[in-house]
Amino acid sequence: MQTSIIEKIIKEIDGYTSAQQTEHVGTVTAVGDGVVAIDGLSKAVMSEVVEFETTHRKSLEGAMQSQHTVFGLILNLEEDGVRAAILGDTALVAEGMTVRSTGHVLSVPSGEELLGRVVNALGEPQDAKGPFKNPTMMPVEREASGVIYRKGVSVPLATGIVSIDAMIPIGRGQRELIIGDRATGKTTVAVDTIINQLHEPEAKRPICIYVAIGQKESKTARIVEQLRSAGALSYTIVVDAPASAPAALQYLAPFAGVAIGEYFMDAGKDVLVIYDDLSKQAVAYRELSLLLRRPPGREAYPGDIFYLHSRLLERACRMSDEKGGGSITALPIIETQDGDVSGYIPTNVISITDGQIFLDSSLFNKGVRPAIDVGISVSRVGSSAQTKAMKGVAGGIKLELAQFRDLEAFMQFAQDLDKATADRIASGQRMVELLKQKNGEPIPLERQVAILFAANAKFFADVSIGKVRETASQFAHYTDDQHPMMLRSIKESGMLSEDAKKELCTSMDEFRLSHKELFADVK
Amino acid sequence: MHEAYAMALWQLIERGETPHQAVVMVKKNLDLKGRTAILPKVARAFEKIAAREIRKRTMQLTVARIGDFEKALRGAKEALLEAGIREIDLVESIDESLVGGWRLEGHDTLIDNSWKKSLLTIYNRATQ
Repeated sequence: MQTSIIEKIIKEIDGYTSAQQTEHVGTVTAVGDGVVAIDGLSKAVMSEVVEFETTHRKSLEGAMQSQHTVFGLILNLEEDGVRAAILGDTALVAEGMTVRSTGHVLSVPSGEELLGRVVNALGEPQDAKGPFKNPTMMPVEREASGVIYRKGVSVPLATGIVSIDAMIPIGRGQRELIIGDRATGKTTVAVDTIINQLHEPEAKRPICIYVAIGQKESKTARIVEQLRSAGALSYTIVVDAPASAPAALQYLAPFAGVAIGEYFMDAGKDVLVIYDDLSKQAVAYRELSLLLRRPPGREAYPGDIFYLHSRLLERACRMSDEKGGGSITALPIIETQDGDVSGYIPTNVISITDGQIFLDSSLFNKGVRPAIDVGISVSRVGSSAQTKAMKGVAGGIKLELAQFRDLEAFMQFAQDLDKATADRIASGQRMVELLKQKNGEPIPLERQVAILFAANAKFFADVSIGKVRETASQFAHYTDDQHPMMLRSIKESGMLSEDAKKELCTSMDEFRLSHKELFADVK
Repeated sequence: MHEAYAMALWQLIERGETPHQAVVMVKKNLDLKGRTAILPKVARAFEKIAAREIRKRTMQLTVARIGDFEKALRGAKEALLEAGIREIDLVESIDESLVGGWRLEGHDTLIDNSWKKSLLTIYNRATQ
């Protein structure tokens, strides 16, 4: 044995005083599927953390070699005992084991040092970068801020996705649901929103928290890598409760995510929390509730399934200036089955949130990506947070797209259509093309304004449909290169002044002259 | 359901029926309802209730060796007085893994005065 270790042990023995403590305990009477029945613990409180004595009945040597701290979370208080969910390795918990009360409710570490890290639902590091040195513990369950401490949503949260920022704008402190079938690009919208925050000045950039619930580890690893390569991981925290994690951790993960976010909100910062996805959390909670023998209700979900999501999403808010002015914006994700938004969990979450972005699988299959159905997507409070510049250029897009959708059915009779209808269809087709975007390539707000301004001025009417996206992209880059001050003024003021409009018109003319090939095959 | 029958059996005995009489009464009831098959489950549930009730009424004093009981008993009684627990039956048991000292458990309370706990604490502090 090394001398330093021996010295350390001698020092510990010299300084050791045996303090006789009376602890409040119970005994495990049944274990199964991540849930334990405990006799005793008569003074326990709801959501209290308990510790299982895994060293009980083991020899000293065995206890030293296999010391695992296993915690449990009390979820049911019953007449003769309690029921708790095991927050760790179930195999280490056995009948007859002593369970200690810890006297505190579940909390997770938070703080600046969590930025760029991947943690589990208990806030434990999962990325082999070592433990946190000096974190602040935040309670997982906390009452949402009261009305008098809040203020209205008025600051935009740019997603970098043109169709969202123009037609379904999101404000800081808002709760906007992303809903759609599997593989329609829900996670992509969320991840692009995180990446787009790179375009924000550092002082105003929101802290992003991505909560992966019941996802494949490979998918989460891919997202972490995507964020890292985009340079977005430095302001992001990933809370991972994979499909292989116990139901209790999947149920807790969103609460852990918002608890971590509340630390930053209390410090006056803006936070964006993405819950990917709450349908899987609901399923985990159903599993847990059935194991806890709570009475099942509709679709076997427990009676408090609405409260589960409402108390989580109510914690997203914008605080008043007296309270620091921080905010939490929530982007919950819900997966629908075969486009059915009238399911139990989707309708619950739709009614809780301030709007929804609906992703349609048929649009996705047609190649319209992001596959946002702007017809049934809505943002109830976001318009008050939209910049004047965007409001000015985005006003008529929703109507134009709606008219295009109505006329789309007549496209096959294109030969027999009158000129006005044909023009409207052509314009709609170009608008649909303009709103298509590659994933991982969010567009800064000022460029979006420039593109939409050009679209309103029928700039793309002379471009063949197949080249609209390319032209828009090149035009945005051209304007950025040739008129950077004008774009900066739009970004900083959020306004589209008359001078800026004139300069945009000049830029359009210049671009048309210098890129004749894009306008060559005009019909 | 078997838990309810086990509880009924326990309550019958608590009210003064002899264990034999209580079992006969419960079995008769099960026969009448055609549920005799759950009798083994009732027995297991009864065992759990009994264990729980014993735990409520007694505390287990565990030592590493038989010779330690006398000293442990004195220490345990002092600790119980300090914790405000009076009139409780102590059940003695031996667990060699404690190494030395004593451990008192029951009545929702644990007082661990064993050497094993002290040694583990020192080990953890020295190795962290």
